Amino acid sequence: METFLTVLQMVGETLGMTIISTVIAYLLGIPLGVLLNVTAKKGLRPIRSVNLIVGIIVNILRSVPCLIVVVICMPWTRAWMGRGSGDWYTILIPLSVCAFGYVARVVEQSLNEVPAEEIEGIRSLGASDWQIITKVLIPESKSSLITGCAVTAVSIIGYTSFAYNIGAGGLIAGIYEFFTRNTGDYMGKIYFWILIIIVVVIVQIIQELGLYIAKKTDKRRKLK
Amino acid sequence: MKEIEIRNLSKSFGDRKVLDHVSLTVEKGDIYGVLGLSGAGKSTLVRCINGLETFDEGEIYYRDELLCSPKKRVERLQKRKIGMIFQSFNLLQQRTVLGNVELALEIAGVKERRAKALECIEKVGLTEHINKYPSQLSGGQCQRVAIARALALEPEVLLSDEATSALDPETTNSILDLFKKLNKELGLTIIMISHQMNAIERICNKVAIIDKAVIVEQGELGDVFLNPQAEVAKQLIYSDHLHTKLNDQRLIRIIFDGNSDEPILANIIQECGILVSVVFADTKSIEGKTFGQMLIKCPLKNRELAKLRKYLTLHNVKYREEDANGVELEEEVA
Repeated sequence: METFLTVLQMVGETLGMTIISTVIAYLLGIPLGVLLNVTAKKGLRPIRSVNLIVGIIVNILRSVPCLIVVVICMPWTRAWMGRGSGDWYTILIPLSVCAFGYVARVVEQSLNEVPAEEIEGIRSLGASDWQIITKVLIPESKSSLITGCAVTAVSIIGYTSFAYNIGAGGLIAGIYEFFTRNTGDYMGKIYFWILIIIVVVIVQIIQELGLYIAKKTDKRRKLK
Repeated sequence: MKEIEIRNLSKSFGDRKVLDHVSLTVEKGDIYGVLGLSGAGKSTLVRCINGLETFDEGEIYYRDELLCSPKKRVERLQKRKIGMIFQSFNLLQQRTVLGNVELALEIAGVKERRAKALECIEKVGLTEHINKYPSQLSGGQCQRVAIARALALEPEVLLSDEATSALDPETTNSILDLFKKLNKELGLTIIMISHQMNAIERICNKVAIIDKAVIVEQGELGDVFLNPQAEVAKQLIYSDHLHTKLNDQRLIRIIFDGNSDEPILANIIQECGILVSVVFADTKSIEGKTFGQMLIKCPLKNRELAKLRKYLTLHNVKYREEDANGVELEEEVA
C-alpha cells in the first residue's frame, strides 16, 4: 500500500512537472514563434534584425544542455519559489526554459504550413497583421500546433530526468534512485520494470491523445 | 461614372517589366474583362488595385479619389469597397462556410454578423451548406463561398483573378452567370482576369487584352472580338482553331455583325452552287445579337470565287480574304 502511494505520488509529480512546464513553455514560446514567423523573409512583416536577434536567442536557449540550465536557474527558482531544490516544483522553471526555445521553433514551423493564398484572401478583406495572426495563422495551424504540443510534452518528460539532480522527484528520478539503492540486482526487480512501464504508458497516452485531438479538429482532410 | 481608373501604371520585378504604362478606365456597372496569356501581367494588374501588390509608377483612382500610388497604400476602409476572389478560392480550411463568410465581418468589426452572412450565402445559393467545411465542397461551391465572403462587406467592385480557371466548363458558366446576376441586382462592378476567352465573352461588356506588360487592345467587347488587330488578340480570340496544315491556303472570313439572320452558308451553297468547306465557325450571342466569325476555304476555281464574292457583296455580308495566320490578302482579280 505504501509502495502504491509512493508510485502514485511520483506519477503525480511527473505529470505536474510536464504539464505545467509545457504550459509555461507555450505561453513564452507561442509569441516568440509568431514573432519568428512574422518577421521572417517571407512573413507578414519581414524585419531582418528582429528575426535575427530572436533567432539567435532561441538557438542559444536550445543549445545549452538541460542539466546546465537546471543549475543556472537555481538562484532564480530560489528567489521566486522560496527554495532552489528538493521539491517537485523547483524543476518547473528550468524545464520551461529548456523547452520554450524549442517550442518557438515548433510554432514557427506550424505557422509556415498556412498557405500564403489563405493569408492573401484575408488581406484582400482589409485585415490588419494582428487580425491575420489571430484569425488565420494560429487557428488555421491549430492541428499542427496541437501535434507539436504533444511532441514537446514528451520531450519534457525526458527532461524530468534532471529532477533527480536537484531532488525534485518524479517517476524517472524514482527509477534512478531505485537503481542506486539496488545496483546489484535491479534488473531482476519487478518494481523497476513497473515504473518503466508506467513512464512508457504516460508517453504513449500523451502522444496518442495529441494526435487524436489534432486529427479530430483538423478540417482540412475530407471528413467522409 | 468612373469607378476605377488606372493611370499609367508601371511595375517591374527586377529587370523584367510586368506592366508598362497601363491605363484603364472601368465605369460603374461594367463587367470588364482583362484577357491575356499567362505571364502577360494581367494578374499583377488587378492585385495592384486592392493593394496586394505595389507598383513603381502611376496612380489608381476609385471614383476620382486617389486609391493608391507608389507613395500611397490602399487604406483598409477603401479595401473593403473592393472585394476580390481568387483561382484557388483562398478560404480558411478550418472554418465552415458560415465561419468563412462571418470572418469578413469580424475583420470589419461588425457585431451583428449572422444575419448578414446568411444573406450573402443565400445570394450565392449555398444555404444548405452553411455548416460544411471547404474540404467537403466542390470547387464551384468553394468559389461561391469566396464570393459570399467578398459580398459580406458590401463592395462596389469585385476583382476576380482567374476565378473560374480551376473549374470545369459547366461550373465556370454557373459562376459567370452568378457574376452577371450580382452585376445586375447589386450594380456590382466586376473586373475579371482570365486567359479563357469563353469566360470573358460570356458576360463582359468591355475587354482589354494585355500582352507582354502592355494593353494591346481595349474597348467594347463586340468591337474587340469582332475585329481583333493585335497579333496576340487574334491568337487568343481564334485560339487554336487554325491548324498549320492550312498554311498557304487562301481563306475567306465571313463576319456576322449582329445584323443578319439569314442562313448565309446554306444560301451560298444553294444559290451559288458552290460547295464550301468550313474551317472554323464560332458565333455567339452578345447582348442579344448574334456575332461571330466563319472561316471557309476559298474555292479553287476562280469562277466560283468570283461568284462567291459577288454574292457576299450583294447581300451586304462583311467578309475578308486572308491567309491562315489571319493576315488580310488583296483581292486577286481572277
